[in-house]
Amino acid sequence: MDFFSKAARKSPWLYRINAGSCNGCDVELATTACIPRYDVERLGCQYCGSPKHADIVLITGPLTARVKDKVLRVYNEIPDPKVTVAVGICPISGGVFRESYAIEGPIDRYLPVDVNVPGCPPRPQAIIEGIAKAIEIWAKRA
Amino acid sequence: MAFLKILFDNLREGPATEAFPFGEAATPDAYRGKVTFDETNCVGCNMCEHVCAGGAIRFSEKEDGLHFLIWHNTCISCGLCAHYCPTKAIKLSNDWHLSHLQEEKYEQVDHAVVPYRHCTSCGERLQPGGPMLHQLAFKGTNPRSQRLMNMCPDCRRKASYSGEAL
Repeated sequence: MDFFSKAARKSPWLYRINAGSCNGCDVELATTACIPRYDVERLGCQYCGSPKHADIVLITGPLTARVKDKVLRVYNEIPDPKVTVAVGICPISGGVFRESYAIEGPIDRYLPVDVNVPGCPPRPQAIIEGIAKAIEIWAKRA
Repeated sequence: MAFLKILFDNLREGPATEAFPFGEAATPDAYRGKVTFDETNCVGCNMCEHVCAGGAIRFSEKEDGLHFLIWHNTCISCGLCAHYCPTKAIKLSNDWHLSHLQEEKYEQVDHAVVPYRHCTSCGERLQPGGPMLHQLAFKGTNPRSQRLMNMCPDCRRKASYSGEAL
C-alpha cells in the first residue's frame, strides 16, 4: 500500500469539470494536454475520463444556476483527498458574468478551491504553472 | 523512407516542447497580461472604469485623492482600458504569472492614489491632471499655459482677462 501512495504522489490524474464555461478555458486545457508544445504530462499527470479516478480537479466556468447541481454531484464523486484548481476568472470571481441572475458562482461558495489560475482564458503555460502548484499541494495531501 | 527526414529534422531542431515550467516561456511583447497603472499620468476621467467589461476597476473619491483599485481576478485582459485611456496611464504588461493559492485570492489587487491638484491662486481642489494631458491638449507647453494649467476655471478666467498671465 505504501508503494501505491508513493507512486500516486508523483502521478496525479487530472479531471475537468465544465461549470458552464464558454469553452475558451476548456480549449486551453485541451491544448496543454494534447499539443506537444505544452505537454502537461511531463509533470507526471494525465487527464482521465472518470471522476472516480481523479486527483486534481480543474473547474472552468462561472457555475451557472442550471449546471450547479450536476457539478456538485460530479465533484462529490471524486474521492478524497483531491486538489481543486479554478481555471479562468469565471470560477474565481464570476468574471464578466459576475452578479448575473443566471450565475451561482464564484465557485468557492460551494467547493473548497486550492489554486486559482486567472485569465480569460489563461494561456497554456499559466495553466501548467497552476497545475504545478496543485501538484505541490497534492504531494502533501496524498 | 519519409521517416528519415522527420528523424533528421527532430535531431537538428530538438524537442518541440517548451521548457516551461522547468525553464523560461517565450512571451510576445504585445501579450495582454496583467494591467499596470501609472498614477502620475492619470487624469481621473474614469473612462477605464466605465469601459471595463469585467468590472475590475473601481475609482473612489477620498479626501487625499482619487483611489484607483483593480482586482486582477476579474480582469479579462481585453485591453479596453488601455485603448480608451487618453494619457496612456493604464497599460497591459505581458506578465501572465498570475496563478496563486486560494488564500491569496483577495490580495490580487493593485491600489494607487491619484493626488488632487490645488489651484495655485485660491487653493480650490482640482481634478488630477498630469503633464501628459497638457502635452496632449496643447501639443506643447509654454510658461503661460503651465501657469494657467494649475488654476481653477474662475482664477484662470480672471488671470486671462486681467492680462497677468501673459
